[in-house]
Amino acid sequence: MAFNYDEYLRTDKMPTLWCWGCGDGVILKAFIRAVDKLGWDKDDVCVVSGIGCSGRFSSYVDFNTVHTTHGRTIAYATGIKLANPDKHVICVAGDGDALAIGGNHTIHGCRRNIDITLILIQNFIYGLTNSQTSPTTPRGFWTVSQKAGNIDPTFDGCKLAEAAGASFVAREKVSEPRKLEKVIQKALAHKGFSYVEALSNCHINLGRKNKMASAMENLDWIDSITLPKKKYDALSEEERINYLPTGVLKEDTEAEEYCDMYEEIKKVHQGLRPKITPDDFKKKL
Amino acid sequence: MSKMREVVSTGNDLAAMAAVDAGCRFFGGYPITPSSEVMHTISDLLPKVGGAAIQMEDEIGGICAAIGASMSGVRSLTATSGPGISLKAENLGLAQMAEVPLVVVNVMRGGPSTGLPTRVSQGDVAQAKNPSHGDYKSITVCAGNLAECYTETVRAFNLADRFMQPVIVLLDETLGHMHGKAYLPTQDEVKAQIKPRRTFDGPPEEYKPYGVPQDEPAILNPMFKGYRYHFTGLHHDASGFPTEEIETCRKLIDRLFRKVDEHVDELESYEEFMMDDAEILMIAYGSVSLAAKEAILRLREEGIKVGLFRPITLWPSPEKRMFELGQKFEKILSVELNMGQYLEEIQRATGRKDIEKLVKVNGRPFSPQDIIDKVKEL
Amino acid sequence: MSLMKAPENTPVWTNEANCKACDLCVSVCPAGVLAMRYEPHSVLGAMITVIAPDDCIGCNECELACPDFAIYVADKKEYKFAKLSDQAKERAQKIAENNYMMLGA
Repeated sequence: MAFNYDEYLRTDKMPTLWCWGCGDGVILKAFIRAVDKLGWDKDDVCVVSGIGCSGRFSSYVDFNTVHTTHGRTIAYATGIKLANPDKHVICVAGDGDALAIGGNHTIHGCRRNIDITLILIQNFIYGLTNSQTSPTTPRGFWTVSQKAGNIDPTFDGCKLAEAAGASFVAREKVSEPRKLEKVIQKALAHKGFSYVEALSNCHINLGRKNKMASAMENLDWIDSITLPKKKYDALSEEERINYLPTGVLKEDTEAEEYCDMYEEIKKVHQGLRPKITPDDFKKKL
Repeated sequence: MSKMREVVSTGNDLAAMAAVDAGCRFFGGYPITPSSEVMHTISDLLPKVGGAAIQMEDEIGGICAAIGASMSGVRSLTATSGPGISLKAENLGLAQMAEVPLVVVNVMRGGPSTGLPTRVSQGDVAQAKNPSHGDYKSITVCAGNLAECYTETVRAFNLADRFMQPVIVLLDETLGHMHGKAYLPTQDEVKAQIKPRRTFDGPPEEYKPYGVPQDEPAILNPMFKGYRYHFTGLHHDASGFPTEEIETCRKLIDRLFRKVDEHVDELESYEEFMMDDAEILMIAYGSVSLAAKEAILRLREEGIKVGLFRPITLWPSPEKRMFELGQKFEKILSVELNMGQYLEEIQRATGRKDIEKLVKVNGRPFSPQDIIDKVKEL
Repeated sequence: MSLMKAPENTPVWTNEANCKACDLCVSVCPAGVLAMRYEPHSVLGAMITVIAPDDCIGCNECELACPDFAIYVADKKEYKFAKLSDQAKERAQKIAENNYMMLGA
């Protein structure tokens, strides 16, 4: 026996359109194994993707799937989830998709703490459109939109998600598929907004011009800039600046989830409870 | 005889009430003058009936959440004004392409840009025809009085599910904020009118959501019911998956046109007021028609016989009827609160370039006297 | 858990229709079980090959690292895998140095 991915795949769409060695496929597999471990009924799952290489993710999985416009995954997912609070809604987006053009929806999805899992495929570049600077492209890297070297400071998506109010935040990398599967499984099981940043390789459109033209070299570079949270935490502030911590970075199981809170609004309007006041909340501001 | 009910309300509130009565159970929106009251009211009404209304982080989020909910099978609404339509345009295009029903209420204000937020205009009529890039057929209806803010919103929901695409309901600042008496059909009557979208009941492996005859809309089953399929804004095949196959791409866009073009009889709606003995024809829509009707009554007291043709479905336009009227009337006056956006359509439909026009773009409504003065000049 | 039936008496097997010849599985195999062969009909001119099945230790790293559902490893309960030998480790090293291509090819 071996694990049967085909059960969850639209096998007639294989092989994927992704380049050879693309980490997106490793993330897709880790996601499938995580869903399988949770034992979810495929009919109860909705996967929403945006534009970019990650946009194709939704078309490969045999769930209810939506391929939306650039950056809007979380907004679409918010409508799907709020209208169907008992279903599992997962967003898959790239760093350009969810942190640049769709940054606003990412922030506010986190803030509402609505029970959606965002798998953010972070490959440090706009891959599909051929190597433009993304909000996570390291400074000094070559990009096609800044061939002299990228001067734009970067976003730390996990810090952003944490500050914006996501109740689960984790980062993992495709070179650690087992760990990746585990954090995705945790994120899916978590009630509230869960943000998983999956560091992925784009040796084609990031690597070729930045001295890591193979998947292996690109993954080695990712390994060189990541540290497990424990090791990262042990470093001084100054030592940390060029590392990204991996593992579960935030897990708050107490924070109120948006759809649950919306049920209280329904109760108010249905005369089942008094109006909601500041006294209903521990954290008001 | 249908029992009517008498309601005192505003156009915006009536649109919200109509949505809920028509079975809408989701609203996604963002505050914008002069449409915000639609959101204010529906956010009270929806949770009462088990639905949900959410104020999103921006206009784009508002329509995306509404489209998402609609994809899952729930009748959904978003409401906005011109600047909001500009922002929502790309996702209106996705709803056209993926054939997702949605009602969009646009309470028009002065434009372009921020324009005259608290003032009336009909400046979004041309935008309503093609808000998004690409080729598709818009369906746009336009309320001409308070009661129609209600009845046209109800009709829009039924049309959206019939044609599986967004339907824009144009209100304007005057109607949206007008407070007065309206005679409405009962809630039971509205409920009886609801025609839910078609579904496929056969075995899931045979389900082809977009595999329909060339003049028919997609059949999109609700999510989570065993029919797992794919929505995309990309060109797609019968199963809904992306394709670049030449003939499939051509046929898809051809069908998006034909599903509307070949059924315009189901869409067409207009009012003819005092036209039987009219010697001069006036064409006006929306709140302008209220001033037009008053002007016609006063002109008739002076013996000047004017009739009004009021299109209610603006897109697709009642082009056959307008052509007939163009043959019948020598003098035709188009009155609208823009620089002549619908005039171009009237010229096209009638084939005439000598249509007189009365336009206004300063954020103020027409008074009956404005129209009377213009008619006397003809 | 969703399971598929393994081919009889096979520790590791491939689906060449899905393989894009990225070398990742070869790069993570500690036992030199896998290597690329020249394959003129493949886009990148190479194809995954199981060259030393008897040395497979069942670690599953290749399957996890493959982005393309192109390689599968048998269940440890059903197949008796080898222990990692020095000879296998050495072969893995040489394959890596040979750009993940089969040795002597």
